[in-house]
Amino acid sequence: MTSAVSIPTHGGTGGRTAVAARARQVVKAYGSGETRVVALDHVDVDIARGQFTAIMGPSGSGKSTLMHCLAGLDTVTSGQIHLDETEITGLKDKKLTRLRRDRIGFIFQAFNLLPTLNAIENITLPMDIAGRKYDKAWLDRVVETVGLAGRLKHRPTQLSGGQQQRVAVARALAARPEIIFGDEPTGNLDSRAGAEVLGFLRRSVTELGQTIVMVTHDPVAASYADRVLYLADGRIVDEMLSPTAEAVLDRMKDFDARGRTS
Amino acid sequence: MTVLKTSMRNFFAHKGRMALSAVAVLLSVAFVCGTLVFTDTMNTTFDKLFAVTSSDVTVMPKDAKAEDTPQNGVPEALPAAALEKARTAEGVKSAEGAVSSMNVTVVDGDNDNVGATSGAPTIAGNWTRNDLRSMEITSGHAPRGPTEVMVDADTADKHDLKLGDELRTIAQTGDFKAKIVGIASFTVTNPGAAVVYYDTATAQRELLGATGRFTQFNVTAEAGVSDARLKQNVAAALDGPYKVQTAKENSDENREGIGEFMDVIKYAMLGFAGIAFLVGIFLIINTFSMLVAQRTREIGLMRAIGSSRRQVNRSVLTEALFLGVVGSVLGVAAGVGIAVGLMKLMSAAGMNLSTDDLTIKTATPVVGLVLGIVVTVLAAYLPARRAGRISPMAALRDAGTPADGKVGRIRGLIGLVLTGSGAAALLTAAGADKASDGSLMLGAGIVLSLIGFVVIGPLLAGFVVRVISAVLLRAFGPVGRLAERNALRNPRRTGATGAALMIGLALVACLSVVGSSMVASATSELDKTVGADFIVQGNQRIVPKAEKAMQDTPGLEHVTRYKMLDATLTSPDGKTDDEGVTAADPTYAEDVRRATTEGKLSAAYGPDAMSVGSDYAEKHGVHVGDTLSVAFKGGETAKLKVAAITSDDVAIDQGARYMSIDTMRKYLPAESVPPNTIMFAKAEDGRGDQAYAALKKSMDAYPQYQVADQTDYKQELKDQVGQLLNMVYGLLALAIIVAVLGVVNTLALSVVERTREIGLMRAIGLSRRQLRRMIRMESVVIALFGALLGLGLGMGWGATAQKLLALEGLNVLDIPWPTIIGVFIGSAFVGLFAALVPAFRAGRMNVLNAIATE
Repeated sequence: MTSAVSIPTHGGTGGRTAVAARARQVVKAYGSGETRVVALDHVDVDIARGQFTAIMGPSGSGKSTLMHCLAGLDTVTSGQIHLDETEITGLKDKKLTRLRRDRIGFIFQAFNLLPTLNAIENITLPMDIAGRKYDKAWLDRVVETVGLAGRLKHRPTQLSGGQQQRVAVARALAARPEIIFGDEPTGNLDSRAGAEVLGFLRRSVTELGQTIVMVTHDPVAASYADRVLYLADGRIVDEMLSPTAEAVLDRMKDFDARGRTS
Repeated sequence: MTVLKTSMRNFFAHKGRMALSAVAVLLSVAFVCGTLVFTDTMNTTFDKLFAVTSSDVTVMPKDAKAEDTPQNGVPEALPAAALEKARTAEGVKSAEGAVSSMNVTVVDGDNDNVGATSGAPTIAGNWTRNDLRSMEITSGHAPRGPTEVMVDADTADKHDLKLGDELRTIAQTGDFKAKIVGIASFTVTNPGAAVVYYDTATAQRELLGATGRFTQFNVTAEAGVSDARLKQNVAAALDGPYKVQTAKENSDENREGIGEFMDVIKYAMLGFAGIAFLVGIFLIINTFSMLVAQRTREIGLMRAIGSSRRQVNRSVLTEALFLGVVGSVLGVAAGVGIAVGLMKLMSAAGMNLSTDDLTIKTATPVVGLVLGIVVTVLAAYLPARRAGRISPMAALRDAGTPADGKVGRIRGLIGLVLTGSGAAALLTAAGADKASDGSLMLGAGIVLSLIGFVVIGPLLAGFVVRVISAVLLRAFGPVGRLAERNALRNPRRTGATGAALMIGLALVACLSVVGSSMVASATSELDKTVGADFIVQGNQRIVPKAEKAMQDTPGLEHVTRYKMLDATLTSPDGKTDDEGVTAADPTYAEDVRRATTEGKLSAAYGPDAMSVGSDYAEKHGVHVGDTLSVAFKGGETAKLKVAAITSDDVAIDQGARYMSIDTMRKYLPAESVPPNTIMFAKAEDGRGDQAYAALKKSMDAYPQYQVADQTDYKQELKDQVGQLLNMVYGLLALAIIVAVLGVVNTLALSVVERTREIGLMRAIGLSRRQLRRMIRMESVVIALFGALLGLGLGMGWGATAQKLLALEGLNVLDIPWPTIIGVFIGSAFVGLFAALVPAFRAGRMNVLNAIATE
């Protein structure tokens, strides 16, 4: 299986496409000649709107690279990536930046917040940068949802790791981006704080209709998703819908074993 | 050994981050070495010149000084008869009489002064064999009659003089024209004097006022006779009031005068280099503090695996040592370049210096290296100690956000105490009754308040940056806010970076306040006291013919002569002083109005009368009616009655003792009467413009004198002060450049430090342009912070200095707001400029790499 293209292009709500982002024949290679390393090898993928997609795979499988390319943080060697109807491959830095600012939300594993800004300032930062007015009611709801109401004036250093990630989630949600990308958003958290954050992400998909793509190697984290994509050696090797932690773990073990025997 | 290796690796791993600190060290060292090489080269040039021009033995009048013409404007002379005597001395091969005068002006056919513009003298004399030691005739021949003159080749080149052109020589005793018949070139480097030669009789008549006189004898020894021996013989043969010198003594004496002058230049320039060093210290401290902060984990690891505090400490200091060595070595080399550049600059200004004479004493590189290395290592000491205190636990901790320094309360307290005592000292200085006490307090106040501000800087940074941001950055929305927060996040760093800029700008502000107060005070005093319409003065004291030309000018109500005389005054209490007296026409009382505390000033111009200043009167208990004894130099001793006491609360003529020229003439023979130092004139009523034009016209033939009405005079004064200030600003530019390097350095290191933050911001949609703007604004805020502190501090110093100098007549405080505001706005641009490269690099940063950076 080299592709994860199984979603009808149109459907779902209103006039918008049912596919929030799609990649076609995406290749990402570093170096050339003998030292050429292929991180993504002709990947086709569709990210369904309003769904929580997890990307899994062993280290070096290309899962982070795929996310970076989808999010317009990295350029591709060949192939096309569309965000909704916009082709982002080939966009110049200026347009890419604006695209990230206006249409994409990010949650990184660590160092998500600017230490000089307090929680609420961090949350509204993308909109501030854009010079956009924010929807007060929405903001309140987001803050309420992630449970930060009492800590909005705190600086990141005054918040626990879990709280910091919740602020990051709130920031990603506040601007109502088309897609939120998470790069191991719970990688640095203990299981309880991680579960909290993942719970928020799940709820934002279910209750707010948010589209989320998350890279993780934690089967428990992946189990919060609607759909799990498995990457290995730069290719999509499998896909699982409505995963459970056990099923994901089994599948992973499967790959590991295959990897070892091959 | 491991320490050395680690240090070296660190040094080269961060060579980019070290580069600016190295440049700061380089600049300061280069300035020191450049100064030393330049002044040494100047000295060498003069040494060579004087060594060549001094004959074996030189005979001069007893009191003759190389650089000074006596007060009557005519060089002291030796009788020709003495020359004959000298020739009879044993061991004399030849003795030649020379005539030389520096109290001359030489003008070309267009009445343009052909003298040097660099301040070097014009020297006129007779052409002797001794001159062949340093010159050769390159075209034409030596002067032979009263209408022939020879000029040096440099002057001829500069003023486009050719054989056959006419030169006019204006001396105290003569004013005559002669045709150029020869041009002589120097065979050694002539630093810039314009030299003209006549035949002996002409030189004697025109320069000394009589034939049969010489200003010095150049005596040559027979083979085998030493200079010392010859000196003894000549002195014995002459047996009179003569100064007899060997070649060495003569050149040493000549050199002494120049040497003193060169020392003043040297120490002034070294002072500015010192300021640059001081500023550089801030830069180095900041660099190492930031490097240590960035390496906290690494150092923690080293501690965890067993490095001792001392080893960590030493490894940082070793790095500083490398920095010092690299910066200093390059600095010494650059210093030689600076010296050569200065020499070229001087050439452009009319001073000849040859790179053949380039003198690099052993001490120069040694001083440069030692200074550069010691200062660097000392500056790195504090950060090194901080590095040593990093606990092994730091290795385990999350790197987190780098170096968000807090400012300690103790620091604030110390800073407040220092600043407070500095302010107290300044207030005391401002209220001082005596200039000498006050200046000590002023110095203490300046040093204390400066240190206080440096210590308290980080605390002020928090407040000042907020204020500046509130006014300036809020307009830029979130980017402005980010810039403000960044500038505030490490107040110690912002404080130190701003403080570096503060030092230079404080001096600029202080000097500009003092300078402009000087101009304002002088102008106000001129307005108040000067009644004369026109003022004539120049480098050469006013020769009789020029005096006559001025007196003959139509449309003038009166012309006032003003002569300064050497005299010894004895007061009734038996005390004497050599301050001299002033002889002027009675109209001087109208030209410069002076208030009196006793008597009327006009009475002082009566026969056998005089006035004294109130300070003198108070000190010696002199009152109107008392008699003073005045011993005129070169004349008799007079008993003069004090008819007025002038108030000394002035800047012009403070302490002057006036008498009439008629009184002076009674006691001073005509040949001893000095020429006028300055002359004044008043136009007839309502004919000011015509009179001014006429006066200028009649002084046309004497380009060495400036004719000015009050407006022009004030302007000249202002220009002179302005020129002086510009020179000082130019030298302070060095310190400011180093400070700007500091801003660049801080920003560059901050950008490196904030790589992840920048990556994050870029990822969530901050555009390159916004990112660059953020860094630029942070830079502007830091620069403005430094400027605000510096200008505030400097204006405080300047105002205090003015209050203190009010005792010396600097009565008006004038704050040059255009300059101050200009500097403030300029600092904002300096900030923008400093951010150029760091902002560019931040903008180019790869977002992914930035996020990935640990």
